[in-house]
Amino acid sequence: MKKKVLSLVLGTAMAASMFAACGSSTDSNSSSAASSSSAADSSVASASAGTTENVASNSATATTASGDGSVYLLNFKPETDDAWQDLAKTYTDQTGVKVNVLTAADGQYATTLQSEMAKSEAPTIFNIGSSTDAQTWDDYTYDLKDTDLYKHDSDHSLDVVYNGKVAGIANCYEAYGIIVNKTILDTYCSLDNAVISSIDDIDSFDKLKAVADDIQKRVDEINKAGGYDLTGAFTSAGLDDSSSWRFSGHLANMPLYYEFVDDGLEDPTAGEATIKGKYLDNFKKVWDMYVSDSGADPKTLAGGTYNAEQEFGMEEAVFYQNGDWEYSALKDADGKNGYLTADDDLTMIPIYFGVDDKNEGLCVGTENHWAVNSKASEADIKASLDFLNWVITSDEGRKAMDDTMGLSCPFDTFTGDYAPKNEFGAVAQKLNDEGKKSVAWAFNATPNVDDWRADVVAALTAYTDGTGDWDAVKKAFVDGWANQWKLQQESASE
Amino acid sequence: MSKPLKKYWPLFVLPTMAAFVIGFIVPFVYGVFLSFCKFTTVTDWKLVGIRNYTRIFFVNGKLDTTFIHSLWYTCLFTVVTVLIINVVAFFIALALTKGIKGTNIFRTSFFLPNLIGGIILSYIWLMIFNAILAKYSKTIVSTQWTAFWGLVVVVCWQQIGYMMIIYVAGLQNISADLLEAAKIDGANNWQLMKGVIIPMLRPTIATCTFLTLTNGFKLFDQNFALTGGNPGKMSQLLALNIYDTMYGTTGWQGVGQAKAVIFFILVAIIALIQNKLTTRKEVEA
Repeated sequence: MKKKVLSLVLGTAMAASMFAACGSSTDSNSSSAASSSSAADSSVASASAGTTENVASNSATATTASGDGSVYLLNFKPETDDAWQDLAKTYTDQTGVKVNVLTAADGQYATTLQSEMAKSEAPTIFNIGSSTDAQTWDDYTYDLKDTDLYKHDSDHSLDVVYNGKVAGIANCYEAYGIIVNKTILDTYCSLDNAVISSIDDIDSFDKLKAVADDIQKRVDEINKAGGYDLTGAFTSAGLDDSSSWRFSGHLANMPLYYEFVDDGLEDPTAGEATIKGKYLDNFKKVWDMYVSDSGADPKTLAGGTYNAEQEFGMEEAVFYQNGDWEYSALKDADGKNGYLTADDDLTMIPIYFGVDDKNEGLCVGTENHWAVNSKASEADIKASLDFLNWVITSDEGRKAMDDTMGLSCPFDTFTGDYAPKNEFGAVAQKLNDEGKKSVAWAFNATPNVDDWRADVVAALTAYTDGTGDWDAVKKAFVDGWANQWKLQQESASE
Repeated sequence: MSKPLKKYWPLFVLPTMAAFVIGFIVPFVYGVFLSFCKFTTVTDWKLVGIRNYTRIFFVNGKLDTTFIHSLWYTCLFTVVTVLIINVVAFFIALALTKGIKGTNIFRTSFFLPNLIGGIILSYIWLMIFNAILAKYSKTIVSTQWTAFWGLVVVVCWQQIGYMMIIYVAGLQNISADLLEAAKIDGANNWQLMKGVIIPMLRPTIATCTFLTLTNGFKLFDQNFALTGGNPGKMSQLLALNIYDTMYGTTGWQGVGQAKAVIFFILVAIIALIQNKLTTRKEVEA
């Protein structure tokens, strides 16, 4: 009998250990591409099989904790992972509060967040990109209105307000436009019969187009004069998934923004149910310029064989539509990318759109908003808010955000030494000071953003390789918007 | 069975059974349940009836063909790959059991692609395809058919080696006596093949068809990495279509789940029919 009991116990133990193994392997399916680190809590880390773990602080030091809450931050930007791990460690060392940082792999944030949220140890701080995200996670967002974070926030227009709550607070802002290689452009300006005499002459779409057309025609001449490897005025307008968002998202922002402004929208990033595509002709003009004034074969843009950043870095193009997040890669201070561009080659101009060129600035906005999980315990919420407040007020935190991560942060604590250092961010600021109007990120309002963009890109690809026409792009843009908006509203009202 | 085994078998089955129930049955039943819910995370759901299922076909009151398209696209893909993989694997196996020189090297190199993960494999092939197609001003995602044949090539290249190994094992299992007897009776190569080899190979063929059939229906990695469903959603196979619904459309996690349930039923039915058809003609020898 005793033996029977013993074997039963052993059997159960075996089953239980398998249970644990199975449980974690099913859970971590989608987060296996994520990198994880645990400050003191091993249960979260062990659940993410196949991830790299840095133990930032062991639990022995954490027993001196001042509060009983802990922080679990699900980080959105993969490139800032190391900086956040260091910050977590520093904070734990100073206060004893456990801080766990998990970074989702690029493009896997939604998947990772969904699986992490279902766990008992769910993230207490997570990222929401826009009001669409705020809608998805409406049950989970804590109203940040009465927090210190909100008080320090210097630009409330960047925050996500949904359902009467401050659902997310912007922790950085980004600017995009057309990145210009000043040095090559100067070489062009020094040629005979150049359309412009300096970069300052480019102040409208027509000027930009004239310059780009001329550069495209005189590529060999410019190469000879400056010793470059220029292949075109613009970098390739890749329509594969790694690049198409520059057009279905960032360039599409222009017609959206101007239409919303015309319609008298107070907050262009909130969007509206139907659009008319009033400025799609301008969109077409800019797109045609990107395609024709570039060295890439228009029929192969969707193939994923192009790398626009590299083309720009290797001085194969003068113009490159992208944002300030490209700054450190292009500056290439440590020479890791082997790029030829340096600090004094780089500047940015607005995407002149032919609507209000005189007053147009860069496109300034963000997809990075901190949201706090309202379903976490009181203590965890408090610990999370304290941690975020520490990040934006302490020297360590500000240094990490400003220097290490290279972000431009919209908090009143980021002044003096901590003012944004990004060259492109500085251009945005300069244009702002000159009285130009920053273009808001109206594309943040895109309903079912992945679906909508996929359809627009498909139509744009067909138009560009000659198998489709522009009307299909218009249809995907305008009808697709109304359709997806309706769908999104429908599922929000359930 | 010895006596203690008769008595204690539940105990020995328990660990595996528990793992199977927890890792398979429970998530499955839960998944079916979730297909009738609106949910954000799997622990936070609200019952909505069969609405998720109607939404697979009707969006905003209009017929939506995305799912139906990916359904027939997947069926076609499966038929084509099952045929190519099995026929080619069979003949390679036949060639490699004739005792020609370097058999082992050939077997190893044909099997190798199977050891590389689908994602990496597809990225490598993506480069090859695009480099070749660039000459014709095309890419792998130019049309749904370039994508289709691209997928077929990658999947065949990956799976032929695996199926070949199974066929080799099957061929080696055929008793030499049978072949010799047939030859003495004056059978030519074609009669040998038709009358002896193929009937004796039925179980192997059944296994290989089953594997390729289910692999074709479940294909995800290669589809995800090679075409990403482009152009538009025209090259989405079912698994990718489900994934896309789950994560691409706000609040449609339940619809993705409903598609997955339909997907399961389809694959189960087809696998059962196939199993019945191919095992019926098996012979004992």
